[in-house]
Amino acid sequence: MESLPRLGYGLGLRPVYYDEILSTRPAVDWFEIISENYMIPGGRPLAMLERFRADYPIVMHGVSMSLASTDPLDLDYLKALKALADRVEPAWVSDHLAWTGVHGRNLHDLLPIPYTREALDHVVARIGRVQDILKRRLVVENASTYVAFSQSEMPEWEFIAQMAERADCLLLLDVNNVFVSGFNHGFDINAFVDAVPAGRVAQFHMAGHTDAQTHRIDTHDQPICEEVWTLYERARRRFGDVPAMIERDDNFPPFAELLAELQRMRDIDASIVAKASRSAA
Amino acid sequence: MKLSELQTAFQAAVLTGDAEDAAILDLVAPSLNADRATLMGVYVNAYRLRLAEFLDEDYPALRVLLGDDEFEALVEAYIDANPSRLRNARWYSTRLPDFMQESENWGANALAIGLALFERALTDAYDAADAPAQGLETLAEFSPQDWPRLGFTFHPSLRLLEVAAGTLDAYTAADAGEEGETPPPLEDDGAFEQQPSDATGSEARESVASQPTPPEPVAVWRSELDPAYRLLDADEFLALNEAMAGHSFGDICQLVAFQNEGQPATERLAQFLVTWFSEGLVIAVAETK
Repeated sequence: MESLPRLGYGLGLRPVYYDEILSTRPAVDWFEIISENYMIPGGRPLAMLERFRADYPIVMHGVSMSLASTDPLDLDYLKALKALADRVEPAWVSDHLAWTGVHGRNLHDLLPIPYTREALDHVVARIGRVQDILKRRLVVENASTYVAFSQSEMPEWEFIAQMAERADCLLLLDVNNVFVSGFNHGFDINAFVDAVPAGRVAQFHMAGHTDAQTHRIDTHDQPICEEVWTLYERARRRFGDVPAMIERDDNFPPFAELLAELQRMRDIDASIVAKASRSAA
Repeated sequence: MKLSELQTAFQAAVLTGDAEDAAILDLVAPSLNADRATLMGVYVNAYRLRLAEFLDEDYPALRVLLGDDEFEALVEAYIDANPSRLRNARWYSTRLPDFMQESENWGANALAIGLALFERALTDAYDAADAPAQGLETLAEFSPQDWPRLGFTFHPSLRLLEVAAGTLDAYTAADAGEEGETPPPLEDDGAFEQQPSDATGSEARESVASQPTPPEPVAVWRSELDPAYRLLDADEFLALNEAMAGHSFGDICQLVAFQNEGQPATERLAQFLVTWFSEGLVIAVAETK
């Protein structure tokens, strides 16, 4: 299987930080954009993106592909996504294992699926078609979920492992989403990380979430919590040096706080590498 | 249950706002910590909050004009009447001014509708297609005797609006308020009969009482990377409208002269042209057939 570039440590590119990034040229290895924010005719967002991509590798991350929907694939959307990808030349393109609506409606959310063989067949076929249209391997992310369905026939991680193998796609492991869904559904988050096929993981997401006491909500508006850092370390040990980035979408802190979180990732990884070297010596 | 049936049931619960919908809760596995309706409620609440956020982002001045309670009532009504069919949320808010015009509750509020139309034009100008503006020197490529036959192509972001009198004042006041300054007092809800903000004295009030205040002609476009706008005189509005429709410089001169009771309009039109070029509105000049 071809491997994607080892880009290092990235951040989500958000307009609130545009000026600071341009003026300080921070030590961020790459940026991830929300594809839909740039699927527009023209103007400032695309002009700024041209400036950023001159200096940093860009990755495209979408929220509207609706891979698991039983509606037909939206070919106009995929055509526009491909046009953006042709323009931006991202290192890769990702979206979610989720659906966003049926019967022509869009709820603008990443909705949960039952982990059934029927859903698996459906999603595998759709990823295949998307990869044919985009002419590139798709990177698929595990979404945060708040409800699970009684009819599920396998755990989420088994579904994801089978999906990746059968569709021959790559995976974006969102470490925070594993934690959020694990808390909400009471599954073993370590078992999840240990079951995802190592050779398929192309990227990590890290983010903060909201603690609603009885459940957790994936809000991307808080610092990354300690439990997610612990899980990150486990994922890093298992998957090696795949590119990792932090998503922050609300309650924006000073940019330096995100850089500090990025540095913590680097420190954890350096410590893992150092320990591995000592053991080998 | 088939995947399609489950998705239909799930979506119905979200769209109706019913987190306790039995049809979907029966399919949801029990959770250790939270009851199923609470967890389903995350999706139900997120749906309305997200759509409301799209409207909030695109109509900040309208919120100020209407006040929080009425704006939120408008948003709720819009969401109920307009489930999204769009892949990209960018355009979810686009129909709000049309919805207001068609609505019993807001259809008579000309100022609010004007402000919504104006804010929509600003949002559309922000990410309209790019096109390089031409400088005035482009005209030098044509001999003066050809000028009457010249036609102009305008920047894709350019929109002409006729909005209720007072709309731009309301926008400016709301914008100043958002920046932390004290906004000047707004006129009340402002139907067409609203007194214009610069009208003072009994004469103006009498004229308002006897006839509706004419709407404000406004041009909205994108200058470099930022939306721009300008109030137009009636004859410039007419001329720009005609020019955007593809009419030649000569035809527009005649029309403006006719509107101005036969006064020659060439010099006035030439002033408009210089302004349009200097504002980056013109992207191409060509002889019309």
